[in-house]
This record gives sequence, structure tokens and C-alpha cells, in this order.
Amino acid sequence: MTTAVISGVGVVSAFGVGAANLFDGLANARSAVRLIRSFDVSHFPTRVAGEVDVAAIERHWIMQHVGTINADTTVLDEFESIGAWRDRKIVFGLLAAMEAWRTAHCGIAEQEAGLVMALGLEQAFLEDFAPFFNDKGIDWQAEQAVRSTGFRYRSDVDLTAQLLSRLLDLTGPTIVNASACAAGGLAIAQAASLIERDAASIVLCGGADSMVNPLGIGGMTRLGAPSPRCELDACRPFDRRRDGLVIGEGAAMFVVEAEQRALNRGVKPLARILGYGSSQDAYRVTAPRPDGAAARKAMQSALKRARLDCSAVGYINAHGTGTLLNDAAEARVIRDLFGAHADRLPVSSIKGAIGHLMAASGAIELAACLLPLQRNILPGTAHHQQKDPHCAINVIGEQPREEKVDVILSNSFGFGGQNVSVILGRYP
Amino acid sequence: MCPSNQYQKVYVQGAAAISAFGMDWRGLGAAITANKITLSPARQLADSHGSVFGSEVAAIPAAIDVDARACKLMSYPARLNAVALRQVLYDTGWESARDEIAFYLGVGASGGSVAELTEMLRASIVDQTFTLDRFGTAGLAACNPLFAFQLMNNFTLCHGAIVHGIGGPNSAFYSRGNGTVAALSEAMHVVASGECGRALAGGADSALHPVTWAQLCRDGYVDQGFIPGEGAGLLALSRESTHALAELSRCEFHSAITLRAGAARLLSDIFQDFKPNVDDRVLFSAWGEPSREMLLHACNESGVSTVIDIAACLGDALAAAPALAWVAALDLVVTGNASRALVLNAGIDGGLGCVVLRRVV
Repeated sequence: MTTAVISGVGVVSAFGVGAANLFDGLANARSAVRLIRSFDVSHFPTRVAGEVDVAAIERHWIMQHVGTINADTTVLDEFESIGAWRDRKIVFGLLAAMEAWRTAHCGIAEQEAGLVMALGLEQAFLEDFAPFFNDKGIDWQAEQAVRSTGFRYRSDVDLTAQLLSRLLDLTGPTIVNASACAAGGLAIAQAASLIERDAASIVLCGGADSMVNPLGIGGMTRLGAPSPRCELDACRPFDRRRDGLVIGEGAAMFVVEAEQRALNRGVKPLARILGYGSSQDAYRVTAPRPDGAAARKAMQSALKRARLDCSAVGYINAHGTGTLLNDAAEARVIRDLFGAHADRLPVSSIKGAIGHLMAASGAIELAACLLPLQRNILPGTAHHQQKDPHCAINVIGEQPREEKVDVILSNSFGFGGQNVSVILGRYP
Repeated sequence: MCPSNQYQKVYVQGAAAISAFGMDWRGLGAAITANKITLSPARQLADSHGSVFGSEVAAIPAAIDVDARACKLMSYPARLNAVALRQVLYDTGWESARDEIAFYLGVGASGGSVAELTEMLRASIVDQTFTLDRFGTAGLAACNPLFAFQLMNNFTLCHGAIVHGIGGPNSAFYSRGNGTVAALSEAMHVVASGECGRALAGGADSALHPVTWAQLCRDGYVDQGFIPGEGAGLLALSRESTHALAELSRCEFHSAITLRAGAARLLSDIFQDFKPNVDDRVLFSAWGEPSREMLLHACNESGVSTVIDIAACLGDALAAAPALAWVAALDLVVTGNASRALVLNAGIDGGLGCVVLRRVV
């Protein structure tokens, strides 16, 4: 079977644009959660997020961060003309993809690449309804009479993928995974699967999302998912005092390709994708299955595909949202599955530092898993100070840990009950 | 291109189609062939957009519908999918070990309640001006807290999985055509490779949601001949040939860029490989005249004189469109009206999907 490797990575996070910013932030135990600045949150119950440091996105900001584009950029003009930058995840996906493409030294020969993207739900633009709203509700007749072009009401889910495939002229299969918080991990798993079964030799993959917008923040708040405390330490994964998540935004993109293909063109892989597995809770859309049976199945499936025993795993990057139910359920599953090995198996979550990136969370957390493989540093768990007896696992505290590990498992468990686990291995 | 899998043969064990034809998949292909399904003014768009002709699902009988409590939390496509799941599980008799069944679904745009949206906007807009302070203080409180979350695209898959206990490997692919073919391709792969014994794949969507329709109008699709449709279609796959309805012998999808670079050659290759015989059928689901003409031209070039145009009867059901076409093709294969059926879809995403079903000998 063909081995899939990661040969390039790009990241946009609250730590800034670029994978190095994420690695540096995590390696130095910083937290990037802050008061939301991209819109006025003074009347919102939730006011903090892992927000990328840009208010209204404009072309000069994009060009400042995107680096050199060896392609016809007409498509950027087209997207700008329809107001695409209103949806922040489109820009984050673009910047992360270009960094991944560049660091993997991709060129014209790589245009055969497939594209597998995890993308979050449509961004809603409620203000677009205002000109057509009267006492009776939305006046659809008046709406039809206005023939303005561009985004209205909500952005299409797949716009980021459309932009990237056109900008890079990618001719391989294009797939948009819309599996909520599990989408990022599933996208990378699917990219690896395409490589392994020779359906593609190279795939640009990853995830981009932003719910740092009025309906995103507001809707999640009404659901009760975010921490009610508007503090910078609002998200405290696996901590006894945890009370909810913090929303984040950003993107992480990878170039995944057949190992031999990377070596043939002189690129040293960053990591191997050893295994992956997915499952569905079939329980509730907004709560994890208490017994964790389905999450366990995803992890077991990933281990089986990787042909590894539990004892081979050296670090787990947990889904670790900082919610009461999720963390307890995940900890229970890790304890049950890994048994005595769980006592010394380091586990951490980076959501306290950058927030929950929803559809992109699995992708950015896999990017964070490159930190141990590249620098021998296991990320810490920001704001984790008090151990919870209900989370009886070996959680790394706020300080990162210097340790060399060869096999890493990353979990993502999504709204709707979708679960995915991905296993990365050190490239010798 | 995503090539067909080279592993074990994959068979269709059952199907479901919720469409304007009704709640049953048997007879769908024959009804389309005989032009028995006609477009009608869409009830769902009557209040917002007046008389829009489309292909709309009739009221779902209570006996097969999801219960009222679960229904309240679902978008309409999620409800259609849950009903289709019920039907396909009944069709296959897959009663046991459902937590092992894989499930891949093409899903569409969010489709929340317009009534909820209206209440939220009413509390947030004064004098045709939307303000964040009103939204933050009153707008959010005016709607069901699950409003934003029944909208999540993957919930179309998840609600059904929850209702029916489907717990295997899974993914929701955003689709306006090809994503649904990708779903079938994944399902075919996990079955063919032996990763899963059984898998479900298809799509569920509606183009008759007022916001979706307004966007389709604004984006110019309606001016180019887009006919709105809706529904849910599912195929049940396994490696078991006993009692199989058909063999799924090919499933591939090509991106818009690949198509732009050489649609004629690509289609020529597909037909050369398929080598249509007199007892084979070609079905296509294409939106708009350019796509239709492209596929018709390819059929003519390959000597195929009769094609079955799914969209003319069922409209374009976006993420559900390819799946409904597969199920119609399955009906033709099962009833003996076709030895093989080639299904081509060209959705508004600009891609091309190609699926071949073959009668089991």
C-alpha cells in the first residue's frame, strides 16, 4: 500500500499567519484568546475568542500575508468583486493553503493534486435582510426586484475550495467535507485514503472556519457551549473548574502525498499519516455519547489501520473542548482504551490557547502535532491548573513538555456525533 | 479523477428515494421514462416567491415520518434523509449491528426555519436597519436556541443516523452535484476494500427553501433554466451478491477544471469504456441548457439515441440530484428495462459524475 506523508503545512490562527507562529505560541505556553475586535460584542453574552488579529479583511492584508503567488490572480479579483472576504474563513483557507503549497515546494507538476477541504457552515449576513424587512417579515418581492450581485444572506460552504482549485488550477478530485468539528480530521484522513488507494498521488487538504461573527458567537452562546465567563482563561480543558469552550477561527492546510512522490522531487516529509478511523455516536446532536463507545471505536479503528498497539502511542492531542461532558467522556475513553499506559501517556488540548476552530479544529490540531515531531516539544494545555478526578488521565499542564515521541494520536469529536481519530508518525 | 476501486465487487442491496414521485423507489425509473412526473407550483415558495414550478415532495405519511419531537429539531432535508434511511433499512432488512454500517451523504446548504429567522430579524431590525446591539440583546433571545444548529450542514446526515442508530465510518460532503458522487465513491471504497461490510450513500437536499431559491435567482442559475427540486436518495451497498439488486461497477467524479480542460474527450472516454448496447440505458441529471447540450452531444456521438433526462421530471435537487438519478437507474435495471445504466450528472458546481449500475446475472 502506498504510504501517505505530509510534505507541507500552512496555518492561520489567533497566534498569527504562519505555522511558525502557532508552533512558537504553543512552545512558549502562550494563549491567544482575547476580546473580540472584529465586530461590536458589547451586547453579546460571549465576548472572547481565539480571533485572528484582523478586523475587516481587505486585499492589502491578504497580499501582505499570502507571499508570492505563482499563478494568475484574476480569480482573487473576481472573489473580491462579489464580497467574498466578508466570510473570513475563505481568506484564512487561502493563506494557509498558499503556505502549505509553498513549503511543500509545489509547482506546475503538482497541479494534478486533489483538494479535500473541511469547511464550516455558511456565514450568515443577517444585515442583508434589513432593506427588505417590514412589519410582515421579509418582503421577497422587493428582494427579487434588487439585482445587486455578490454575497447575500449567507456564503456558500464551498467557496474556499472553489477559490483554491481555480487559483492553483488543481485538476484532481475536489471534495468538501462538511462534518462540523470532525471535518478537519476527516479531510486529512480522506486525503490519505486517496493516496493509499492510488486515486491521487498528491492532495492539498485541511480545514478553514470562522464562527467569530454575530450569529456564530450568538448561536453557540444560546446553545450554552461557550464558557459563560468572558475571561481570557475561559476555556480550561480537563480542568476541574472547566465550564465551556471558547470559539476560535483560522485554518490549517497540508500537502499530503505519496511518500515516494515527495522523495522523488527532493522534499523531506514532515510526518507520516499512519492511520485514521471514524464513527458516529448515533446519540444526540449536541452532546457526546456518555459511554464514549463510538469515540473509542474511532481510536481503535485508527490504531488497527496503523497496525499499532496502544502502547506505541506517545502523545494524544485531545479534542478537549473544555466542556463538562466532552472532556469527561474523552478522558474516560482514553483511560479505558489505553489502560495502564494512560498513566504515563501525555495528553493535551490546544483549545485553551487558540479556541475551538470548529470545522478546522482537527486540521489545526494535526498541525500542532507537528510540533513534537519537528521540535520534540509536546504542547501544553493552556489554563489547565486543577486536575479533575473525572478526567483521570495524564494531562500536560500549562507548560509544554520536552519529550521525543514517535507516534501521535489526534481526536476530533463533532457536533452531530461524528468522531475521527488520526495517527501521525515521525518521519525518520 | 477518482477511479473506480479495484478491489472486490460491490453490490446494491437496497435503495430509497423520497421525491415528487412519492415515498417508494420502485417504479421511479419507469415513471420518469414515461414522463409521468410533472412539475407543479411549489407550495414552499408560494408565500415568498409566488408561482414557481418545481418538483416537490408531497406530504410525508405519518406512518413513515420521524416523530414530531425529533422533527422539530431537523431541517427539511434532514427529515427527508431520516425518512429515506427508514425506507432503505426496511428495503434491505438491515436490522442488526447498525452501529457498524458506514454512511456517506451529500448534503446541501443550511435550511433552517424561515419563521424562526423572521422572529430573529424582527427583534433585530428597526426601520430597515439591523444593529448588533438589538441582535445581541433581543434577536438571539427571539429564536429557538437550536435554530443556528439545526442549520449545520452535517446535521442532515447526523439526525438520520441518530434516529436509526447508524454508527460506522461516515462523512457529510457538501454537494451541489459532485459531493454526492464523492459520497458514493467513499462508500464503494470502504465496502470494496473490506473495511466495512455494509454502507449507505446518497444525498438529501431541497432547492425549494426560500433563502436557497433567492440565492439561486441572484446567482443567475434560474435565468439559465434551473428547475428546483428536492428529495433524498440512498443506495445500500455490500459485497454480498446474494439477493443483490445490481452491481455498482463504476463511480467516479471529475472537477469543473478537468471538465473545462476537455469535457468532450472525457465524455468520449466514458462512453468508449461503457460501450452502450441496445439494452443499456443512459440517464443524466444536468442543470441548464449548456450542460444538457454537452451530455446530449456526447450521447449522440456515441450512438446513444435515447437518453433519460432526470432533471426534466425531478428538477435539480442539488445534493440529492445524483442520488435520485442512481435510484431511478436502479429501478430500470431491476425491472429488466436495462442491462446496465450509465448515470451522468452535471450539477451547478460544474463537475461531472459518472456511475454505472449493472444487472446481476
